[in-house]
Parts: sequence; structure tokens; C-alpha cells
Amino acid sequence: MLTYIARRILYVIPILFGVTLITFVLFNLVGGNPVYQKLGKHGSEAEIQLLSKELGLDRPLHEQYLFFLKQCVTLDFGRSWSSNQKITDMLSNGIGASLSLTVPAFTISVLLSILIALGAAFFRGTIIDRGLVVFCLAGMSISMLVYIIFFQYMFSFRLGVFPITGYDPSLAGRWTYLILPMIIWIVVSLGSDILLYRTIMLDEIFQDYVRTARAKGLSEKVVMLKHVLKNAMIPIITNIVLEIPFLYTGSLLLEAFFGIPGLGGMTVQALYNSDFPVIKAMTFIGSMLYVFFNLVSDVAYAIVDPRIKLE
Amino acid sequence: MTVATATMNQISTQTQMPKSLWADAISRIKRDKLALTCGAIIIFYALLALLASLGLIAADYAQTNPQGFSPPSPDHWFGTDMFGRDVFMRTVHGTRIALSIGLVTSLIAIPIGVCLGAIAGYFGGKVDDLIVWFYTTVDSIPDLLKIIALSYVMGRGILSVYVAIGFTTWVGLCRLIRAEFMKHKSREYVLAANALGASHTRRMFVHILPNVFHIILINFSLRFIIGIKTEVILSYLGLGVEPGQPSWGIMIDDAKQELAQGVWWQLAAATGAMFFIVLSFNIFADALRDALDPKLRNK
Amino acid sequence: MKLSRVVLVALVSLGISACTKKEDKKFANYVREALKTNIKGLDPVVSGDLYSSTVMAQIFGTLTQYSYLERPTKVVPYQADGMPQISKDGLTYTFKIKKGVLFHDDACFSNGKGRELEAEDFIYSFKRLADPAWQSDGFWIFEDKIKGFTAWRNEASKAGKADYSKPVPGLEAVDKHTLKISLEKPYPQLLYVLTMSPAMVVPRECVEKYGKDFQNHPVGTGPYKFQSWTRNSQIVLERHPGYMEEYYPTVGEPQDQANGLLADAGKRLPLNDGVIFTEIVEDQPRWLSFRKGEFDYLEIPKDYFDGAVVSDDLTAEYKNAGVSLSKTVGTDITFVSFNMDDPVVGGLGGKGKYLRQALSTAYNTEETIKKFYNGRAVSAQGPIPPGLGGYDPNRVNPFKQHNIEKAKELLKKAGYTEATAPEIHIDLPNGVTYRQFGEYYQQLFNTIGVKAKVQLHTWPEFQDKHKKRKSQVFSMAWGADYPDAENFLQLFYGKNASPGPNNSNFNHPEFNKLFEKAAVMQDGPARNAIYNKMVDIVIDETPWIFGVHRKDYYLTHGWFKNYKRNGIILNYSKYYRVDQEAKDKLKKKL
Repeated sequence: MLTYIARRILYVIPILFGVTLITFVLFNLVGGNPVYQKLGKHGSEAEIQLLSKELGLDRPLHEQYLFFLKQCVTLDFGRSWSSNQKITDMLSNGIGASLSLTVPAFTISVLLSILIALGAAFFRGTIIDRGLVVFCLAGMSISMLVYIIFFQYMFSFRLGVFPITGYDPSLAGRWTYLILPMIIWIVVSLGSDILLYRTIMLDEIFQDYVRTARAKGLSEKVVMLKHVLKNAMIPIITNIVLEIPFLYTGSLLLEAFFGIPGLGGMTVQALYNSDFPVIKAMTFIGSMLYVFFNLVSDVAYAIVDPRIKLE
Repeated sequence: MTVATATMNQISTQTQMPKSLWADAISRIKRDKLALTCGAIIIFYALLALLASLGLIAADYAQTNPQGFSPPSPDHWFGTDMFGRDVFMRTVHGTRIALSIGLVTSLIAIPIGVCLGAIAGYFGGKVDDLIVWFYTTVDSIPDLLKIIALSYVMGRGILSVYVAIGFTTWVGLCRLIRAEFMKHKSREYVLAANALGASHTRRMFVHILPNVFHIILINFSLRFIIGIKTEVILSYLGLGVEPGQPSWGIMIDDAKQELAQGVWWQLAAATGAMFFIVLSFNIFADALRDALDPKLRNK
Repeated sequence: MKLSRVVLVALVSLGISACTKKEDKKFANYVREALKTNIKGLDPVVSGDLYSSTVMAQIFGTLTQYSYLERPTKVVPYQADGMPQISKDGLTYTFKIKKGVLFHDDACFSNGKGRELEAEDFIYSFKRLADPAWQSDGFWIFEDKIKGFTAWRNEASKAGKADYSKPVPGLEAVDKHTLKISLEKPYPQLLYVLTMSPAMVVPRECVEKYGKDFQNHPVGTGPYKFQSWTRNSQIVLERHPGYMEEYYPTVGEPQDQANGLLADAGKRLPLNDGVIFTEIVEDQPRWLSFRKGEFDYLEIPKDYFDGAVVSDDLTAEYKNAGVSLSKTVGTDITFVSFNMDDPVVGGLGGKGKYLRQALSTAYNTEETIKKFYNGRAVSAQGPIPPGLGGYDPNRVNPFKQHNIEKAKELLKKAGYTEATAPEIHIDLPNGVTYRQFGEYYQQLFNTIGVKAKVQLHTWPEFQDKHKKRKSQVFSMAWGADYPDAENFLQLFYGKNASPGPNNSNFNHPEFNKLFEKAAVMQDGPARNAIYNKMVDIVIDETPWIFGVHRKDYYLTHGWFKNYKRNGIILNYSKYYRVDQEAKDKLKKKL
């Protein structure tokens, strides 16, 4: 087991290396020149050359890459090209807002969809189950952008139930602004979550042990809660673990629309400004979390089911 | 000689199998009224897209009128936009772009996913390690950032939307194909083909591929959903089709400002058009999966 | 479902009202202003954009400033003691600096108390503009103007490090309170640029203590001391107790007396206890907050204009709430620029010129103003906006009168028929409005058969393209840096071509000659006459399709006094007065 874990951890290194390589190629070789933006409307030829030198844009590519690699290892990504603020400061300023939105929304949507999926599995094959599936598919057929535009218009603008956009950094004050984005998050993710968990539960229902349990005369409710749910929890939790890294980027669209000063909104701004240091930092950290939680889920799986490590 | 004939027979029975699977699947789908309806809707949209691109219907979609924002009326079923253009015709033309994204990105992503997956699963060893490393790396980078980065490389416009989505969404299919090839390569019919001296390429693409074709087909129908939805997000980020081209994403992007002024028809038209086609694809793909994937039977 | 919504509404409104009540008491007599964009930082050499400059103008001091009430705006001394002595040849400016001007208290000073401002502080602050470590975008105000300064900067960039002990020949502290600036050639705009954010004065010890984070700990000599900044949300400034002696102006325009703008004449500034800037990017919440009285004044966002202003007057609903409207034509211009280097649309005279004239004549300004500006703009006839010396209100640009027939004739003159008309490529920045502009240009140019392809770019990509002369046609706007038409005419001066600010790469020998002649002349009818000739050349060659000059429509609440807007005056907060009693009364009704 330990060797498996060790091997699995070692495997992370080439992946992260690959991520830095792809990120570098995509963002350093293309895109606009930040120099003009920094110099504003009066920049002259001499100033442009000077600033390019300052930003290291005139150095050979392999040197620029090594510099980026060093940044990734030390997790110090320098300063934003557009605001000159330290990127580590920007990240720590934004993460609170992002997590305040995504953690509660994610938790609620997962619990809610497990509950509904359990119901669907219980009523499998009936009109209720079939209707629910179609309803979920229908919900998934509308763009998230439309949900945001419509909900914001309806609940904030027309009905005035929620503030339209904004954010209050105090711990107590921020929730006013977060409720509506959370509701949208939940509405958007419910459909696909329910369908996924329903499939996982149905997988379990047809296993032999469930048949045995039923044969023993246990009621369907007990079978569902004690056996199906318990066993389905393993793949469900693995799935949840894999979704955790996405909480860090929050939701790009939600943050941009509701003016929440989190990492998602920051990324959108960075894209509009070709602010490569920020984008590269976000990309690398996002990938790192993805790789890490993948590792966690694999290791957890291996512990639960030792056969896995033979693969 | 006798050995050879025996294997020949075996091969033919093995390759027969998917045929019965297909026949079975078709009869299953035929019985599923909902799936059939959805299939009909998809064909209807495809027809609209075809006729629109030939200029046979909604040819006046760019016709402007100084009087903008007129609400739905018999003249303009879905009203007009800020430049007085007919929203209904723009919606119909949007079908063309929406479906073309699913189609073209499939032409890019499916060959990549299938080839890499097949090679990795079939050969195993170092080649497999390399390909798995590659797709895990690609997969680790957040989707939206990949798509956006590629859009930058390509410049703006529909072409870069195709390429950006096409080159970033092959990993899932690649994984599935790799797993299937690993399973199939040691099956008897493949070993037999080997004994007959079939080349690697022949074994991979002539013998194994037909057996995993249903995976590709399901993936193909799901791709349309991804394509249509991604186009909306890209349009919002300013990375969509060229200005002047009507797409649902651009219509929705316009609508976010119009709604406050009471102009709802553009949002409603684009959302409605999108809803029916995406829902149809969702249900149809679901039915397809049920019919083609025996593991999921009876559920 | 119903109950939960009621509870939710109750909770939400409780939270809001509890917060605002507490704040109201603590921040009585504070000016509250909304910013349309997020502030990046508050260091005069780093943060040059309009909104950062606005906040910084309250914190930092400069040698000169604009008179608050007089129009056209006039330069008056600020932290300089009187206007400078100017040598006869116009090459030496000797400033006396006011005595007893104090920096804000800050931990960077030896005893935590702000020290007195000296001439050396200005020299240090100006040198920072030329220090490669700061990557400043503000050096242009002195580049090739102050004697030996450009050489000083080139040396610093060659060495990779600026040596502050090395003198700049043109900057001299004659004594503690005397600063002498020597120029390489006459620079009539010097007194203007000295009011701008790059010329703000900072204390050396604070910059050295905070380094790059000085932008988050600004310390200056202005009327307000930096208090706090919640990133992307709110900046709070409080009155600087040691602020220099300065008084509300006693002269203004004739109507100022009647408008109550002189009620506080002669009173000690600032007239309020602090300023709160709130950063709200989206129009809707900014507007709703203003209506609730959270801000003292606001520019009406486009989408809400029709609800507040009908036939150019405020609706009764707003008037009854004590709100008033003020209108000014902004000192800016929007334009569609052609790249004069381009083989199709470029070139002086000849084919290219007629094509440009044709496209300009096909441009429908009236409809543009209606569709994109709610009528809040005036058609631009030339490059100089109203309100600047050299602007001719009677000028009519023959190629700016929408006329499809005439445009088609010009197209013919350019050697094209409608069928053979060339395809052009237009570059625009990202955003819904720009995309709609792009579609609109396509429609307009299509009326004479010219097909246009529109590409949207991120702002840096967009700049990259025209700075490298790779754009064929692109659309932009330019806002005045100072009240002199030279700021607009330099956009056509050949030596300023890309990557300089002249991005149309217009290079006309006669224009260049006139520009060089006018550049060293002081303001007056003689210079205006030359400006007029330059405008004639530009109109004939049409390197730009002149767009519009935007009009600003601002609303102020009844409790807010002394508001008089001008886009160039940024250090305005100190003049504002909040009638707290009236505010408490009026706000209840909102």
C-alpha cells in the first residue's frame, strides 16, 4: 500500500511539469503585449523597449520558462501586470469571497441531490423516476448564463428580494449578497448531480448483496438506506473529492455578474487585461489542486478497495 | 488449414456480435417514443440549419430597420433587435452555428481521442505511459482557461471556437477508448487476427474499433450539447463568432442589457431554441446509451 | 416557500439598515462618491488611469491646480506660493513653495509626524518617473522637455538602476522652498501637466519604507489622509488635520452666484470631514444606491437615462426628491481611425483619401447618438472638443454630414464601384457595446457597398495591434489631459506616430510644420489661427471619422453643495459641502 501511495505521489511531478509547460507555451507565446497597457496612451518607442526589458520579455524563451518554473515551485508569482499588486496578496484577498460562495452552495447542492437521487432510485422505473430524469435533463438544457441573467433580473431587479450586485467583506454582511448566486449555483448543478448519483445508486441496487439483503426479508427502505446508500457513498464521495478543486476558482460567471471580489471574477478581469502572471498563477494552482485531489481520491479508493493498486 | 478455418469462423462470429447489438439497439430506440420524438426534433433543426446556410430560408436575417426593438408581431414573430433585425430569422440562423460547432469539433476531437486512446490501450507500456501522462496533464488544466488560451492563439471568430473546443474536449473519449482497447486486445478474435498476420493498424481499426463504436456514437451526440453551451459562455467572454453573425450566444449576450429595458424577446427566442435542441440531444443520447451499453440494461 | 421568502426579505433588509445606520453616524459630513471601475493602486507614478488619479488628487498635492469655478479653466498656484517666475525666453520657471505644508502623519516619518514639504521632494518625485524600477507611464509629461531629464533616464535604464544622487540639469532646489525648472525648449503646457497625477509630490522616506507597496499606503500633502481600502470595494479618506491654509474661491462665472456656488466663498478648505469612494463596476447597483441616497452625486448610467431625464430635463419624481441635474459637454472625442500606412485606406491625397471621405460621409452620427448615447452627445466636426481654446463652434465638416449619395460619389472618385468596393478590417476592444458598434459600422459602410470585417480584442491585444501598425481601421476615444487643443492635435503629428500616441500614423509635412510652430507658442489668437489651419488639413485628409463629444449628465442630491463638474479638475472633493441636517431629512423620503 505504501509503495502504491509513494508511486502515486511521484507520478504527480511529471504531470505538474507538463502543466507548467503547456501553460507557458499557451500564455507566453501568444496574446497581447502588456507593455502598451502599462504605458498608457502616451508611451514612446524608448519607453516600450525599456519596459519590455523590465518585464523580462526580451529574454530568451528558455530563460523565461525557467523563471516561471521557479515561480511555480516557490508559489511566488510576482506582481500583476495590470495592477502591480502582489499576486499572492490578490489570491489571499479573493479566496475568502470565492469560498464563501462556493462551499455552502456546493454542500447544499450535493446533499440535496443525494437525497433526491435516493428517492429516484427508490421509485426506479416508475413514472416519478422517469419524470424526474426528464426534468433534470430539461434543467440542464438551459445555459447557466440564462439562469444568471433571468434570476438576477427577476429576483433582484423586479422583485427586489436581493441586492443586485455587490459585496460586503465583513463576515456577517456578505451573505446578503451571496444568497442569490448560491441559489443559482444549486439550481444549475442539481440536474447533473442528481442524474450522476442516481446512476451510481442504480449500479448498487443490482448487486448480489442487495438481492441477498432483500431475500433476508429486509424492507425496501432499510435496503436503500443501510445497503445501497452506504455502498454508493464510496463512488459518490470520490466524485465529490474530484469536484473540490473547482471550488477554488469559484464560478467565473457568477462572480463576474454579481460583483463578488473572488478569484473567478479576478480571472475574468485578468483575461480581459491579458494579465498573464495572474492567469498563469490561477492555471497552475487550479491544476495543482486538481492533481492533488485526484491523488487523494485514488489513495482513498485504494485503501477502501485494495485490488485497485494492482492495476 | 483446419485451424485457420476455425479461427476464420470465430472471427466472423465475433465481428457479427456488434451487428446484433446494433439491430437490438435500433429496435429498442424504435420502441422509445420520447427518444424518437427527440430524434425528429434534431433532424428538424438540422434541416433548418441546412436550408438557412443555403439561403433558402431566413435569408433576410441581416435586414436592418431604423426602428429598433419592436415587440413580437405578425410581421416579426419574435420581434426585432436594436438594429431592427428580425429575431426569428436570427434564431433560425443561429441553428446553423450551433449545430456546426458540435459537428466540426467532433471532427477534431473524436479522431484525436480515438487514435490516442487506441494506441495507448493497444500497445500499453511506454507508449501508454506517455499518452496517459499527456492526457492527464491536459485534463489537469481548468477547461475554460484552455479554451480561452487557444482562442487567443487562433484569433477571434468561429474558426477559433471550433479549434478551441475541438482540441480541449477529447480527453474523456480517449480514456474510455483506451480502457476498451485494453480489454479487447487480449480477446480471442484479436489474437486470432494476429495469428493471421494482420498488421497492428488493421487489428486496431478494422477488428477492435467496430466493437467500441457505440462509445464514439454516444460521445458524438453528447458533444453537441457541450458545443452549444460553450459557445454561449465564449460569446459572453467576447471570444465567440465574428460580430455580424447571428449566434444564440451573441443574442443572449445582447439580452443581458436589454432585459432591464423590457426587451425580453431576444433572450426568450435564443433560450427557447437552445432548450429544445439541447434537451433533445440529452434525451436522445440517454436513450442511445441505454440501447447500446448492455451493462446499463434494465435500469 | 412563502414564509421563507418573507423571513429572507426581513433578514436582508435588517442587515442593510443596521449597517447603514451605524455608518451614517460615524461618517457624518463625509462626501460619498461612486467609482465606475476598480482602483488598481494609489501611487502617482504607477497608477495613471483616470479613476486612480481622481482618488490620488485628494490625497496628494501638486505645484499648480485649476481654478474651481472659472471657465475656461485657469491654472492657479496650489502648493506653490504664487505663480512661478518665468524667464523671458520661456525656458526657466522658478517656483516658490508654500511654507508650512505638511505631509500626512505616518509611521515612515521619524516621530510619526508628517514633516514639511520641500523643493527636494518635487525633484525626488519627478525622478521617480524616470526610474526604470517603477515602470511609470507618466514620464511623457517631461520627456524631451526638462533639460537633461531624458538623458538622465536613458542612463538609468542602461545601468538598470536610477541613481537619485545624480542631479538632473533642469531640476534645481535653489533653497529649501525654491524649485527651478529649466527647459530645453519652450513648453507652454508645463503649468498644465504640473497639475496632473505624475507630478504629484510624495515623501521619499515613505516610498523607501513601503517600496512597491507605497501604492497601498499613499502619503501626501493633500487635504485628505488615506484611511483604509477594502480591495474592489471601498476607499476611505479622512480630513488631514495639518492641511495647509487654503480657501474656497471668491470668483467664478456670472451665474455661479445665483446657483449658490459662492455661498462658501472665503471659507477654509476642506469643507467636509472626509471622502468615501465606493467601487461599483455594474451600472444597476450603482444607480439604485444613488437613488437610496448612498452617494451624493452620480453620472446617470445609459440604461436608466430615459427614466430620469425627459426632453433634456429631470422628471418631477426626481425634482421632488430634491435631486438636481447638471449637464456639461465632456472634453473628449470618439473616433474611427484609419491606418495611414495601409495601402487601401491609407496614403495622403489620392484614392485613399476619397475612400476615407466616402466612409466618413456614410457615417450616420445622428443615429449613432440616438442608438448608443441616448442623445447624450454632440456630433464632432473636427478633432478639438468644445471648451478648449481653438474650438470653432461654427465649423461644419463637409464629410461629417450623413449622405449616402455623396458617399457613393466619393467612392467612385476613389476608383471603386459599389461592386468592386474593398473589404476593410475593423479592430475593436472587447465588450457588448463595442461589438454592437462593430455591427453598426458594418451596416453603415455596407450602405455604400463596403464590406467590413470586425474583430474584437482584449485591451492589450487591441493596443498591440495598432501600436505595431497592424490595424487597418480601429475605433477609440481620447480624453483631454489638459485644457489645450494641442493635446488633441499632437495625435496627428508625424513624430508621434505609433507606437507613440498618433496611431493613425498621419504624417503630413505641412501639418507637422504648423504643429512645431504652435508647440512653442503661448495661448492666444495667433496660435488659435494656426490650430485652425491644422484642423483644415486633418478634415480634408480624414485620417479619422470624427465621432462624438460625449455630454455628461450628473445628478446631485439636495444636501450636496458646491458641485460644479469639469472633466479636467480632479482635486474637487475639498470644495464639497454636505448639509448633514438636510441629508438626514431628505434621505428619509428616498
